Amino acid sequence: MNSSIAVAIAVSAIAYGTPLVLAGLGELLTERSGVLNLGVEGMMLMGAVTAFYTSQTLHGPGSAVLVVAVVAAGLAGAVMSLIHAFLAITVRVNQIVSGLALTIFAGVIGLSSYVGQIWNIGGQHGLHQLSKIDLLGLSGLPVVGPIVFNQDAFVYFSWILVVVVSYYLFRTRIGLYLRAVGESPRSADAMGINVTTYRYVHTIIGGALAGFGGAYFTLAIAPIWTDGLTAGAGWIAIALVIFAFWRPDLLLVGAYLFGALSSLGFTLQANGVQLPSEFFSALPYVMTVVVLAGASTTLARRRIGTPAALGVPYVREEG
Amino acid sequence: MIAIERSLDTPRWQRIALPVVSLVIAAIIAGIVLVLSGHNPISTYQQIYAASFTSPGALTSTFVYATPLLFTGLAVAIAFRMRVWNIGGEGQLYAGAVAASGVGLALGSWPQPLLIVMMMLGGVAAGALWALIPGLLRAYLRTNEILTSLMLNYVAGFGMYFLIYDSDSFWRDLTTATARVFPTGKTLLPAATWPGFVFGSFTLPFGFVAGVVLALFLLALFRLTRFGFEMRVMGDSPSAANYAGMRTRRTIVAVMALSGALAGFGGASQIGDFGHVLDPRGLEQAQYGYTGIVVAALALYNPLAVVIVAILIGALTNAGFALEGPSFPAGLVGTMEGIILFSVLGGEFLGRYRIRIGRTPQRAPIVGDDSGSLTVDS
Amino acid sequence: MNIRDVDPGAASAPAATAGPSPAVAAVGVTKRFAGGVVANDRVSFEARRGEVHALLGENGAGKTTLCNILTGLYRPDEGEIQIGGKPVRLHSPREAQVAGIFMVHQHLSLVESLTVAENVVLGWSRHRGFGFAARQVEAEIAEIASRFHMDVDPRAKIWQLSLGERQRVDILKALYRGASILILDEPTTVLTPAETEQLFSSVRELVAGGGTVVFISHKLPEVLAIAQRVTILRKGHSITTVDVAATDARQLARLMVGHEMSFEVTPRATEAASEAAAPPAVLELDHVTAHGNFGTEAVKDVVLTVHAGEIVGIAGVAGNGQRELAEVVAGLRPFSHGSIRYAGERVAPGDPRAVIDRRVAYIPEDRMGTGVSPDLSVSENLLLKSYRRGAPHTGPILLMRQANAQAVQLMERFDIRAPGPQTLVRQLSGGNVQKVVLARELSSQPGVVVAASPTRGLDVGATEYVHRVLVDAAARGAGVLLISEDLDEIIELADRIAVLYEGRVVGVVEASHATYEQLGLMMAGAGTAAGTAAGAAT
Repeated sequence: MNSSIAVAIAVSAIAYGTPLVLAGLGELLTERSGVLNLGVEGMMLMGAVTAFYTSQTLHGPGSAVLVVAVVAAGLAGAVMSLIHAFLAITVRVNQIVSGLALTIFAGVIGLSSYVGQIWNIGGQHGLHQLSKIDLLGLSGLPVVGPIVFNQDAFVYFSWILVVVVSYYLFRTRIGLYLRAVGESPRSADAMGINVTTYRYVHTIIGGALAGFGGAYFTLAIAPIWTDGLTAGAGWIAIALVIFAFWRPDLLLVGAYLFGALSSLGFTLQANGVQLPSEFFSALPYVMTVVVLAGASTTLARRRIGTPAALGVPYVREEG
Repeated sequence: MIAIERSLDTPRWQRIALPVVSLVIAAIIAGIVLVLSGHNPISTYQQIYAASFTSPGALTSTFVYATPLLFTGLAVAIAFRMRVWNIGGEGQLYAGAVAASGVGLALGSWPQPLLIVMMMLGGVAAGALWALIPGLLRAYLRTNEILTSLMLNYVAGFGMYFLIYDSDSFWRDLTTATARVFPTGKTLLPAATWPGFVFGSFTLPFGFVAGVVLALFLLALFRLTRFGFEMRVMGDSPSAANYAGMRTRRTIVAVMALSGALAGFGGASQIGDFGHVLDPRGLEQAQYGYTGIVVAALALYNPLAVVIVAILIGALTNAGFALEGPSFPAGLVGTMEGIILFSVLGGEFLGRYRIRIGRTPQRAPIVGDDSGSLTVDS
Repeated sequence: MNIRDVDPGAASAPAATAGPSPAVAAVGVTKRFAGGVVANDRVSFEARRGEVHALLGENGAGKTTLCNILTGLYRPDEGEIQIGGKPVRLHSPREAQVAGIFMVHQHLSLVESLTVAENVVLGWSRHRGFGFAARQVEAEIAEIASRFHMDVDPRAKIWQLSLGERQRVDILKALYRGASILILDEPTTVLTPAETEQLFSSVRELVAGGGTVVFISHKLPEVLAIAQRVTILRKGHSITTVDVAATDARQLARLMVGHEMSFEVTPRATEAASEAAAPPAVLELDHVTAHGNFGTEAVKDVVLTVHAGEIVGIAGVAGNGQRELAEVVAGLRPFSHGSIRYAGERVAPGDPRAVIDRRVAYIPEDRMGTGVSPDLSVSENLLLKSYRRGAPHTGPILLMRQANAQAVQLMERFDIRAPGPQTLVRQLSGGNVQKVVLARELSSQPGVVVAASPTRGLDVGATEYVHRVLVDAAARGAGVLLISEDLDEIIELADRIAVLYEGRVVGVVEASHATYEQLGLMMAGAGTAAGTAAGAAT
């Protein structure tokens, strides 16, 4: 394969994958605490519209505006997730339903569109966009240069975040406690860990990161706002977390893989391979189902790492 | 000391009043949101009402949106009742649409009644089969059906896309030059159009009537049959079901298949009642499957209530599209739906619990070893 | 035993010679619960440093409640707790742990997918800071484990470990946090003999270093093997404390079971069935072995026969395999060896439907969870077993009207107090729920009735009713297997009594010949029927 095509695929995979990595890491942390949040699409859209509005209305140096816009997006996502957190953790409703309610509430026919109209930002051209950073001056290197050393701040942030979250989960005490909460809330509670607090905090972090992921759309991918801009990215992020078996490193790989597979299909066809691009797009999802099915013994399920208490509300037995 | 404790004994009036009160509260909250954004709530609600029910053609449009929601809502109602979390209604609906359009195209020359029956059967079978995958995996391998049914939604979506946008399949219209450049599906012949029931200016879709019949059938299934009895026991107490010798795994598979069949019927209705062409993009944007979950939740998983809620949500959705424009707040539909949902879900909280003030006497622990009785899959 | 204080080379001199120094004591502790239950009534005992002190008693003696008070879970209504001779008030398990008291429960609360080290450190770590220094913690755990003769790999995941190994992890958690007083609640229930030996070895090492172990048990052989002194509890009272060296199994059993007054048991008045031909066997267990929930054998090589018209009682302390035995007979739990015949016919293991078809009635211990479907109505619950055959169904249809009419009749016959057949079962009182179960199970004239703890949690009136119903069933020709933790109940109702200890039937005695002492000894693992029969040499 032509190396420039490979590079092009890689670069577009990263662009496609970055919002997925951000929102995915957020959902990963949420699910690790045992809460299933299907409202990611809604939270991302709120992040996208908030970021765009902020960057259009705020005056000041470009980078400062962008930072505030991103923070605002994170706040928007966090507030959204708080609704789900309250319903799922305190009221203990069915988490599937409350997550979907959030997606409908904030989604393409909901709040994000509503505020988009109120703020009158539809059709405007984005004033501020993230620009690519020439890292260490190495963007000129062949192959590696454009892929690794010529990305915008969000991309680098997402890479750092993957490392941080990995370290957090597997090397820190708090991360250990988090994993216990998601696996066996009763044991964690017995050891004095406050299950409710952990779940709230990580659901809200999930919301903030989803907001960041949404912000990438309006601040980097395309300088506009339209209803439903994210076009299902939130849903893909949810699938991604499962595909990555709740591990940040696999999440990063998976996010780029999903992106690469969509463009890979066309490329292969051009080179004579007669497989439709949808086949490649569907492949990761099919693989996930197969692996989930294969992990049918409790033994294998342990290795897979589905947080055992995912989606189950926790009630402390009164003594 | 104030404690919130579970109340076992919710009087009947309270159980019905609660959702109604929640709706009223939701309307008030949405009203506040409207006021804050410079709209008049009263006139907005009036507009919605008109666009849903009273303006010319409004009622018909409402039922266009209500019909698929009725099917997907019923699909979720029976599954969730049994604690089988089928969120694959979206993909099962796609499968039904593909099958029904395929059948409709292939058997276009058949006499109309037979053709319609075949389309229904095709939709039902495809939806059931698509749901069997997560169903069998759950029943026999104890694989989490939330995850598998969700994944299969994506796969079904890609499959649908492939048929129309990326191949020269049987479903694709290749007759005109335009169609060859901008992929669309083949339109079904008029014979494949499902008859509507016309009452003056209002047309009631055949699918909706079928859906209501199905809702009644499901109600009968719950209350009158052994299968329904087993379903209810399994949903309530899996260990009691096991103790009674019920075959849990087979029932789980049967319920998943039934759930998928209902969603698939919804897909067939999309082809037969409306559209008459396989439109992947349109189906994907409509998100009938996921919305069905919400409809079922609002209806508290009761089949007849699903009919009502489907109409209400359909009405709201219709109004949203009909009124779309600069003067009407975009996104109000979703916002209102969300507020209604949050309100009803939150209200359930109050219904299930009651607040007790004062000291609760400590209850003696039950003596004996209860390290978990025979675990039965729930 | 407290890591910081103890010199590992300390001599393991018996506590008595060094002058007793109290580690933990309960003084006149009384604890009442709602409903008039007095779990502890002026209980006193005192455990010394360097001592293994056993708390011996049957079900309901108050052992667990007492220890829950010691570990800060409950607060005593009267009396006080002393640590090191000084009175303390413990308001939470945390405070007890700070004082050095830790309890290892029967239900181990470990997170399966995490490693041993991760579980030990959960919620508490010696090291400050963010990081979880895995290697260091593992080394520390390995050091403690080897010091106290515990065989554990700190890097193993919990799901890979046997129950005995998991128990060691729980003990390690306590030691890691500086436990000086360790309470073990029936620790050998889930252990193999080899694991029990290792546990005892660890316990001896713990007290050699100056620590204290409070060992809760109902098993005499163990108490005699491991403890220095033993306090006997009975029905909420502390009876006395004795030196193990100065007593024997018989004396301990007598103290445990009590009933000094009447040594003989008053058996149920039976008809003169001995003249008639021997009644047929309705239930035969032939060398049945079955596994419990955690892979260990819960039922071991049980041979038992129940005849038509008789009531066979299964006595034993909770946790000796009774529940598993009931489940095996009801077909809810598969068995790995042996066979079970119902009225002469064998049934494949683990097939509840087949067992139901053999006219076996099962009154489960877990009445609300297994016996009924709480959100369904009384009449629906009455149909739970019979809905597959006979009225009120035709083909796949269930005719609820007919079912309701039948329900009304049953409600009258079995005195079920409820507004109507449509009432949801979860709105009924405990006694009425049990009557629903009885009505369902017994109305079909079963050949075998398996009743597991049928009167648990019921008031006096309901209890009497249940007894009457069971006796009635036997009078009509059913064979009744009554499994109960209440020895009085068994003695009152049964014709023959089998005692279950560690999954085995250690003896079967005629009720008319049994004594409380004999039964107590068998239940506590101190003998077989032959060895403990009244009049046998002591």
